[in-house]
Amino acid sequence: MELRQPSSLADVDGGLPLAGGTEVVPLLRDGLVEAETLVDIRAVVPKGVSGTTIGAGTLLAELEADPEIPSALREACRLAASPQLRSMGTIGGNLLQATRCWYWRLKYPCFLHGGSTCHARQGEHREHAIFGNEQCASAHPSDPAAALLAVGATVRTDRRELPIGELYRLPTEDDRNVTALEPGELILELEVPRPEASHYLKAMDRARWAFPLVGVAAARFGDGVRLALAGVAPIPWALDSADALEQATPLPGTAYKVELARPLIRRALDAIA
Amino acid sequence: MVNGGLHEVDVPVGTTLADALRDVLGLTGTKIACGEGHCGACTVQLDGVPVLSCITLVHTVGEREVTTIEGLREHPLVQAFVEADATQCGFCTPGQIVSAAALLAATPRPGHDEIVHAMSGNLCRCGTYPKIERAIEAVAAENRGG
Repeated sequence: MELRQPSSLADVDGGLPLAGGTEVVPLLRDGLVEAETLVDIRAVVPKGVSGTTIGAGTLLAELEADPEIPSALREACRLAASPQLRSMGTIGGNLLQATRCWYWRLKYPCFLHGGSTCHARQGEHREHAIFGNEQCASAHPSDPAAALLAVGATVRTDRRELPIGELYRLPTEDDRNVTALEPGELILELEVPRPEASHYLKAMDRARWAFPLVGVAAARFGDGVRLALAGVAPIPWALDSADALEQATPLPGTAYKVELARPLIRRALDAIA
Repeated sequence: MVNGGLHEVDVPVGTTLADALRDVLGLTGTKIACGEGHCGACTVQLDGVPVLSCITLVHTVGEREVTTIEGLREHPLVQAFVEADATQCGFCTPGQIVSAAALLAATPRPGHDEIVHAMSGNLCRCGTYPKIERAIEAVAAENRGG
């Protein structure tokens, strides 16, 4: 394996991008991704907050302390991981985290790995999905992604701009990816509108940092309110209204997540009222 | 830079900082427990900020200053941990002290909530958390002038 450390975007040519490493290094070690070449992109991806623009290389620890960004995003970053991880991990990398589904992590030949079965649907699935779970019941682990979905952020890559909702896609027979990024495409910046009020809440197995069982982001713009959930679907999940929770399709072991989400949504809506 | 000394290590790309510290430099005070960034046992400081050395690739450290538990031998937290009996098996203790030292450097007199928040990335399977808090509070009290 070799490590390249390009100093400009033009010099990035293939290889596996590495920024904070909190995601990529464990995936490499577990053989879930393979690479001949690692590309340290820290010098080429924008960092910091400028107006409503956030560099994808900005650390979660910086965002959680930034008074200028929407409070839902600030709180989602604060709750996302341990202090050490938040001081290492970037917002861009956080958005591209792989699922914590143990079948996927243990390399079962599951739907997400290209197989024909979701082992979680028949097996252990306490931490899994209640929406979009027909073919793959994995849960997306990113708290900030839900916050960014609720505030209607736009993602700028080295090739295009797209609403964050379009960054993610449910895996299909033809394409098992959960993001729409092309090979080698890099997230560079996020454009994050400022809602009049926003809030993020999450339920975890522990009182201090853990992946979300259910995360709820709510944002208010004028008279409109937008809701998005973390940990409930293979991708961050936008919810048209609190009532849309009734359209959930929980598995026997995840029905409790619907009951967890209901009061969290109510509390988040109260907080931004 | 490790604990004030300059080291060049010749290891394959993909080697973690924790492995380089332990196996190349012989600084075995840094512990590896989960090996995947969950537990905090491998915590070291990079330019004063606590990070997880088991998921930091050594080739990305560059010229930043690494501080391990060996570099904190004289820190008042060491004696405070002893006096508060803040260890049981002791395996997580180096990481605990490295995190706590960074907290006290940034915030010499942290409140209870600040301590809990800053230390939440260091797990202790023996459950010595109340005594760890007591040790940090003891040093914070000294910083407060007793």
